[in-house]
Amino acid sequence: MQRAKWTPYLLLLPSLIYLAIFFLYPMTQAFQLAFTREGQSLNLRAEAAADSAVTGNLALQTEVRVIERQQIDEVLPNGATRPIFWYYVSGTDANGSTVEGWVNQRSVFIENRRTSETARVTSGEAVREWTFDHLNRMLTDFRFGTAVSTTLLLMVLIIPAQFVLAIIMALVLQSQIRGSSLFLYIYAIPLGISDLVAGILWFAIFTQRGFLNSLLVSAGFLDLPFIFIQADHMAWMITIIVLAEIWRATSIVMVIVVSGLQAIPRDYLEAGEVFGAGLWQRLRYIILPLLKPSLQVALILRTILAFQVFAVVIAITGGDIVTVLSNETFRWYDPGRFNNPSVAAVYAGFIMIISLAISLFYMRAVRSQEESVKAA
Amino acid sequence: MNTKIRLLLSLIALVMLVSVPVLAQDDTITFISTQFNVVEEGERARAILAGFEGGTVEFVGSEEGPMIDLLRAEAQSGQGVQDVVGALHGTFPTLASEDLLFDLTDLLAEIEAEYDVADAYVELGRMGTDDYQYYIPWMQATFTMAAHNDALQYLPEGVDVNALTWEQLAEWAENMYNETGEAKLGLPVAGLFHRFLQGYLFPSFTGGMVTRFNSADAVEMMRFLRDDLWPYVNPQSISYEFMNEPLLSGEVLVAFDHVARLKPAFDEQPENFIAFPAPAGPAGRGFMPVIAGLGIPFTTSDPEAAEAVIRFMLMPETQAQVLTELGFYPVIAGVDESSLPEGAARQAAAVAAQATAEDAIPSLLPVGLGARGGEINQIFRNAFTRIVIDGEDIQTALDAEAATLQTLLNETGAACWAPDPASEGPCQLESSGM
Repeated sequence: MQRAKWTPYLLLLPSLIYLAIFFLYPMTQAFQLAFTREGQSLNLRAEAAADSAVTGNLALQTEVRVIERQQIDEVLPNGATRPIFWYYVSGTDANGSTVEGWVNQRSVFIENRRTSETARVTSGEAVREWTFDHLNRMLTDFRFGTAVSTTLLLMVLIIPAQFVLAIIMALVLQSQIRGSSLFLYIYAIPLGISDLVAGILWFAIFTQRGFLNSLLVSAGFLDLPFIFIQADHMAWMITIIVLAEIWRATSIVMVIVVSGLQAIPRDYLEAGEVFGAGLWQRLRYIILPLLKPSLQVALILRTILAFQVFAVVIAITGGDIVTVLSNETFRWYDPGRFNNPSVAAVYAGFIMIISLAISLFYMRAVRSQEESVKAA
Repeated sequence: MNTKIRLLLSLIALVMLVSVPVLAQDDTITFISTQFNVVEEGERARAILAGFEGGTVEFVGSEEGPMIDLLRAEAQSGQGVQDVVGALHGTFPTLASEDLLFDLTDLLAEIEAEYDVADAYVELGRMGTDDYQYYIPWMQATFTMAAHNDALQYLPEGVDVNALTWEQLAEWAENMYNETGEAKLGLPVAGLFHRFLQGYLFPSFTGGMVTRFNSADAVEMMRFLRDDLWPYVNPQSISYEFMNEPLLSGEVLVAFDHVARLKPAFDEQPENFIAFPAPAGPAGRGFMPVIAGLGIPFTTSDPEAAEAVIRFMLMPETQAQVLTELGFYPVIAGVDESSLPEGAARQAAAVAAQATAEDAIPSLLPVGLGARGGEINQIFRNAFTRIVIDGEDIQTALDAEAATLQTLLNETGAACWAPDPASEGPCQLESSGM
C-alpha cells in the first residue's frame, strides 16, 4: 500500500524534472533579469589583494586620487609575464565621506598606469536591486504600442482565415475522392519550409523586381513595377505577411483538424444522412461540435505561435517599420543593438502573460459551451 | 532580409567555437574575428592566412557577443585557445574594461620600425590611455556613394559628382524620379543606416555627431531629409540591408553603403559603376572611417606566435591582399595599390578622395560606450523613424531622443569623440532636451 501511494509521483518525476530544468529555471532567471538591476559598486581593499578586507566602496564614474601604486608581475600559464597594477586611491563615497583603499587596475580607467594621479571608477562588484526601470522602458518605448497592435492585428487576420482553410482542406482529404491523398502531400509542403525561407520566398514575389511585378509588367498591366513594400503601404506589407503566414502555417492546423475528424465515429454522420441532413447541416451540427476539442488545441497552439511571428516579418519588411513583439524582444536582446537582456526579458514575460490569458479564455469559452451542450 | 541569415550563421559560428577546443592542435594559432564572419569572406581570409609561415592559423569567424563571452570565460579559467582577436574598434572597449588583453606597446614599436602605421588609429587603439596599446590597427573601411553609369545623365548641370552637396544629391534624385518615374536613390535602412546618420548627415549639417543632436541645424537637417531627400529615395529602402543587390538588379541607380557592401557590384560589373565621396553640407563633408584592430588575449597559449600573426597581418603584401580580396583598406603607408582590379581601384580612389577632401570631417565610431555601444545606433534610427516615417514633430522627436542619448552618455561616462569637441567627463549635449 505504501508503495502504491508514491507510485504516481515517481511516474511524474521525470517530467517534473524536465519541466524544472527547462522551464521553471529559465523562467525564474528571466523574472530576475526583468525586475532586478545589476548596479555596480567598487569595494576598496585594505591590501593590494582581491581577498583582503573591504575598507569602503565607491560608485561607478567616481573620480579618485591615486596616492600610491604597486606593480605585481604575474607569470601566466603561457610563460609570459604580465604587470598588474594596484592603486591606493582616495575618493568620496555615496554618503559623502572620504574613503581610501586598494583597487585593481581592471576596476578603474587610468590614463597612464605608472604616472597618472587621478583615475575614474569603471567597474565593480555586482549589487542586485529590485527595479521597475526595465518595465518602464518597455512601456515608454515608442515602438511598444505599434508592436502590440501589429501583433494583435496579424493574429486577428491570420487565425480565422487559417481555420476556415484548414477545415476545408481537412474535409477535402476526408472526402476520399480520387487523388485526395495527393493533396495531403501538396498541403504538407510548407510544413517542411522554415519561416525564414517562407518570408524570403514571399519577399521575392512582392519585391520591386520580384516575380509578381515582372509578370504584371511583361503582361502589360503595369508600365513600371509597383512597390508593395514601402512605409506608405502599410496595408500591403501586412497583407503580404498575412499571406506568407497563412501559406506557411495553415497545414499545422490542418493536421490537427484531420486527426480530430478521424476520431468522429462514422455512425453519427451516417445517422445524419439517414435523417436527411445536407453537407452544411452535417458540418454545422455534427462535425464542428465534435471537432471542438481539437479546434481548441489548434487554436491555443496557433495563438501562441502568432505571438512568436518573427522571421517572416523581418524577411518581408526589414523589421524597422513594421514591428511585432518578438522582433522588439530581439531588438533589445541583440548584442549589436540594445544589448539589454533585461528589457528583452520584460518583453518575453509580457508575451507569455498575454498568451496565457488568451489560452485561458479559449479553454473557458469552449468548456462552457460543452457544458451547455450537456445540460441541453 | 539578411538578419535571420546572419543569426543562423552566428549559430553555426557558435557551434564552430564550441568545437574549436577539440580541433585546435598545440601548434595551431587561433585567430578569432568578428570581421569576415560570413562564409565566403572567411574562406578568403583563410586563403590569405595560408601564406603565414610561422605555423598553421585557424581563422574563426564569430559574432561579437559570443566572442566576448568566450574570451571572458577563458580569462576566468586562466587559460585559453584564442590567440589573436580581430574586431572593430567598438568591440575593444568591452575587452579593455574587463582587462582581457595584453599591452602591445612593444610589438607596435617593432612594427613601426618597419612600416608607418596611421597615427590616428594607433591612438584609438590606446583607448584614451597613453601607455597601454589595447589593439594594433589592422585595416580600415568607410562608407561611400556608388552610382550606375546610367544615373549620370540625370546629374544636375554643372555639378561635379566628386564634390557633391546634399542639396545637389537631392536634386539629382529628384531628376531621376521625374525622368524615370521611379525613385532611384537607395539607402540601406535595414542595414548600416545609422552610420549614414551618425557619420555623414549629422556632421555635414551640424558639425558634430552628438553634442548638437537636437540643435536648430539638426532640425533643418531632418527637414531636408524628410521633405527634400526621402520623397526621391526608393521606398523599398526600408528592407535594403546590402546595397550591392538593388544596384545590380537596377532597382536603384545611386546608393550609399559600406565599401565592402558595395564591393560585389564593382567586382561583377566594374565598367558599369562609379564610386564617389559622400556629399557635403553647410558644416563640411562628414565621413566615417571604420577601424578594425588586432589584440592578444592574455590567456593565449603562445604569445610569440600570436605576435608573429599580427606582424604578418601588417605586412604591405598582406594589407594589399586584404584590400583586393576583402575590400578593407590598409592602415600602413606604402601599400602597392597599382595592381588593383578596375572595380576595386575605382572604390579606392573614392575612399581617398573622401578622406582627403578639403572640407572633410572625420567622424569616429562611438567611443567609450562599452557594452552599450549598440544603443546609440538605435537612438539615431529612432529619430529617423519617428520623424521621417511616422511624421512626428521634428524638434519634439529630437528632444525626446536627445534625453535618452544624454542618459546613455552619463551612465557610461563616455567622453565626447571626434568630431565633437573633447570633454572632461561624460559628453554633454548642448541642450539635453530634458
